[in-house]
Amino acid sequence: MEIGSIEREIYIEASPTVVFEVVSDPRHVSRWWPDEARYEPVPGSTGEISFGGDKVEAFTVLEVRPPRTFTFRWTQPPGEPATAENSLLVTFELVPSGDGTLLKLTETGYRDEEARRDHVNGWDYFLPRVAPYVATLTVRP
Amino acid sequence: MTTAVDDDLWSAIGDPTRRRLLDLLLAGGPGTATTLSHHLPVTRQAVAKHLGVLDRVGLVRAAPTGREKRYQVDDTQLERAVTQLAAVGAEWDARLRRIKRIAETIQTERNNNA
Repeated sequence: MEIGSIEREIYIEASPTVVFEVVSDPRHVSRWWPDEARYEPVPGSTGEISFGGDKVEAFTVLEVRPPRTFTFRWTQPPGEPATAENSLLVTFELVPSGDGTLLKLTETGYRDEEARRDHVNGWDYFLPRVAPYVATLTVRP
Repeated sequence: MTTAVDDDLWSAIGDPTRRRLLDLLLAGGPGTATTLSHHLPVTRQAVAKHLGVLDRVGLVRAAPTGREKRYQVDDTQLERAVTQLAAVGAEWDARLRRIKRIAETIQTERNNNA
């Protein structure tokens, strides 16, 4: 693990086209991450994702290359352009693998502990909601 | 704990040369700018500067020995940095599991309708 960035990958039994929709389309994104996602899945689109109604984070789409790459920046101060200095960069890379897709995730740019802590607290709120699903996944043969 | 301090902490370990310095100090024990520069493609002066950055955020501690400072890793501060990173990783693990579940459900539905 490289200090300063998060790298993960997961195999998904679904085509890259389907996985790309799930990681990029705001209607799907709001099912696995925030309560609401408001942006257009096109390069340069700036919008926001919100958690629990009162917590809002800025969100700017950088790259949309279906079904291979989706990148965005988030957590920049509201109203400011997203830069390497003020936001986190997230990259989803999709690689066809057998009948499914290898989904690779990279997040870089941890510069603000207070913001990160808020994200952790926010996630703690959501974990109980997904616990039943997680349990299902672990017992699946 | 202040935001400014942690901002500096992440900046400090965001640099590949400084991460390499931490690797060398962890593997080889305490060292000086001179001994460490032997293992890196940069000058002793550059190494001294990077060690200064690591010292300011508490990742290394310096003890004067003769003409040069001898540096060693501060285990507590390094552990804290790694713990922060692990927490962020755990968040993404959970999100990716949800992405997997949703995508596989959609795929199954499409296969059944085909």
